[in-house]
Amino acid sequence: MKSSQTSDPQLSNVTVGGASRPPRLNFGHWLGVIPFFVFSGLFLIAPTLILAYRSLEGANGGLTLENYQQLVSDTVISAYAMSIKISLTTAILGGLIGFLIAWVVSMGGLPPRFRLITTTFSGVAANFAGVPLASAYVFTLGRVGLVTALFKMFGVELYKNGFSLYSFLGLILVYLYFQIPLMVLTILPALDGLKREWREAAENLGATPVQYWSRVAFPVLMPSILGTMILLFGNSFGAHATAYALTGGLFNLATLLIGQQISGDVLHNPGLGYAVAMGMVIIMAFSILIYSILQRRSERWLK
Amino acid sequence: MSYLSISHVTKQFGNTVVVDDFNLEIEKGEFVSFLGPSGCGKTTTLRMVAGFEIPTSGKILLDGADITDKAPNQRNVGMIFQSYALFPNMTVAQNIAFGLSVRKESREMITQRVDEMINLINLEKHATKYPYQLSGGQQQRVSLARALAIHPQVLLLDEPLSALDAKIRVSLRAEIRAIQKKLGITAIFVTHDQEEALSISDRIVVMNVGVMEQVGTPFEVYNFPTTVFSANFVGSLNNASAEVVNPASGFISIDGVQFESAVDLTQRKSGDKVRVAIRPERLSFASEQKKANVVDATIENITFLGSVVRIRVKIGGTKFNMDTFNNPFLDLPKIGAVEQITCSREAVLVLDE
Repeated sequence: MKSSQTSDPQLSNVTVGGASRPPRLNFGHWLGVIPFFVFSGLFLIAPTLILAYRSLEGANGGLTLENYQQLVSDTVISAYAMSIKISLTTAILGGLIGFLIAWVVSMGGLPPRFRLITTTFSGVAANFAGVPLASAYVFTLGRVGLVTALFKMFGVELYKNGFSLYSFLGLILVYLYFQIPLMVLTILPALDGLKREWREAAENLGATPVQYWSRVAFPVLMPSILGTMILLFGNSFGAHATAYALTGGLFNLATLLIGQQISGDVLHNPGLGYAVAMGMVIIMAFSILIYSILQRRSERWLK
Repeated sequence: MSYLSISHVTKQFGNTVVVDDFNLEIEKGEFVSFLGPSGCGKTTTLRMVAGFEIPTSGKILLDGADITDKAPNQRNVGMIFQSYALFPNMTVAQNIAFGLSVRKESREMITQRVDEMINLINLEKHATKYPYQLSGGQQQRVSLARALAIHPQVLLLDEPLSALDAKIRVSLRAEIRAIQKKLGITAIFVTHDQEEALSISDRIVVMNVGVMEQVGTPFEVYNFPTTVFSANFVGSLNNASAEVVNPASGFISIDGVQFESAVDLTQRKSGDKVRVAIRPERLSFASEQKKANVVDATIENITFLGSVVRIRVKIGGTKFNMDTFNNPFLDLPKIGAVEQITCSREAVLVLDE
């Protein structure tokens, strides 16, 4: 077969006559992404490299693995364990609740206005964290918070019944405030990607709704659901300001431990702080890697 | 009694009547096409047979059983969708097995049936592939095999070839027809492509704005359209306003030029306004041996269309297209020349205005 060629530069990388030519490097096309590379270099790659170097720096300035040896101490392990516990709990709860909300919004037959309201609120709530969020919860569910007072008016003493905003449960509640909306925003496109024809084809072949969901819809959605839950895990795992503002640093979380080691007066050991942070970087990188793999799989299915 | 009976079926969405008093009897093993433009109600009618829409009124009987209100998963009908609708998380074999699996058939039976179906569609080498690894044509063949695997009483095809390129469309429609004939399955095929409907069907139902315009064999629908819409929609057509001159002898006049029609005009009066339709391929240059309907025509334009040459002529004040087969030795007239054009009495169709 003969190949024809095109002189149009716009078409220079298209397949012609069965052969493909590699795209030519055009620096003009790369100009637009330079700010992204500069930003990534300054605020992601450079800090990570500095972090890696500092985590290997001893108290006297020389390179050492001593900081990493301290990662197996009880305090550090319990901080990691608590961070993982909170992150897993909020990822699973946020994932489940967020999925149900997204499912209702996408397939519940509600007016389109409801979808707009939910996604707009989710967009705001997913980014509402740190001191403002902690304060909001203190003002509502703190010992003298508005909601606590309302419960009291109806004879329910939240704090006397074992509830505390400054406990594991309290922290979970606060984290769910941004975890659920993040799940809604991330899983909605996947739910929208479920084709009506798949359900109809399944029904036409004799499947019940349960069979359709268990054999088609959930397996198709699973990479997205798991991927998003991993994203929620990472989101919670790296949260520092919310936990610090709420518990005043009394909670033993990996992020709070880093703060104490780097800027604390009593537990000042920057090397250990950097090593704990490197441990978190590795856990987060691992999470993102799994997320990317699952996302690629679901994109392949939903395209 | 026919195998599939669609009786006085009407479907309304709010105040909009999408299908209006649809009546059709389909025999076992028959291949019927619903042909019409977008929004004519053909897909809605098909979806009512599948159970995805419930008729506002009317009945649908399949092999004597009333299926009008039955859920889709309780009707034994197979459906093929325009977008293939293959389950992306399953391989070709798993897709084909799905219907049998949800019906709790035995593992041996499922394996045997899947093998049969894969052989039927000639995709033996692709059984373990996922839909995204197949071409559009291959995906639609899998969709066909999946629908047939459950031994459906009726096969419904909702524009199954629309998403494919022209060459694949032609070969796949022949394949679908061959499989349908081989299995003797009753099939309803929805399309807006007249060539597809003409080439594949035992009968065609021409639809327009929710109403059946004409039901007939492809030969009848093409050669003897009963309505202006049917005549215009199926094939290309010259149509013009005319006046009945002599009902007894079948003479009509188009812009003062007299034509003779084989259509019985005795029910009409002289001076009645009618619409005349003549297929472009029924017009030809008059030979030495003069026939009926020989008229003078001015050549206005000549367009080469490959196998056919389309000649635009003006007869009286009305413009007509005339198609003639191309051959390298074709002696074409000059533009502006006046030539004698003819057509048979049978070619002059008379429709209601």
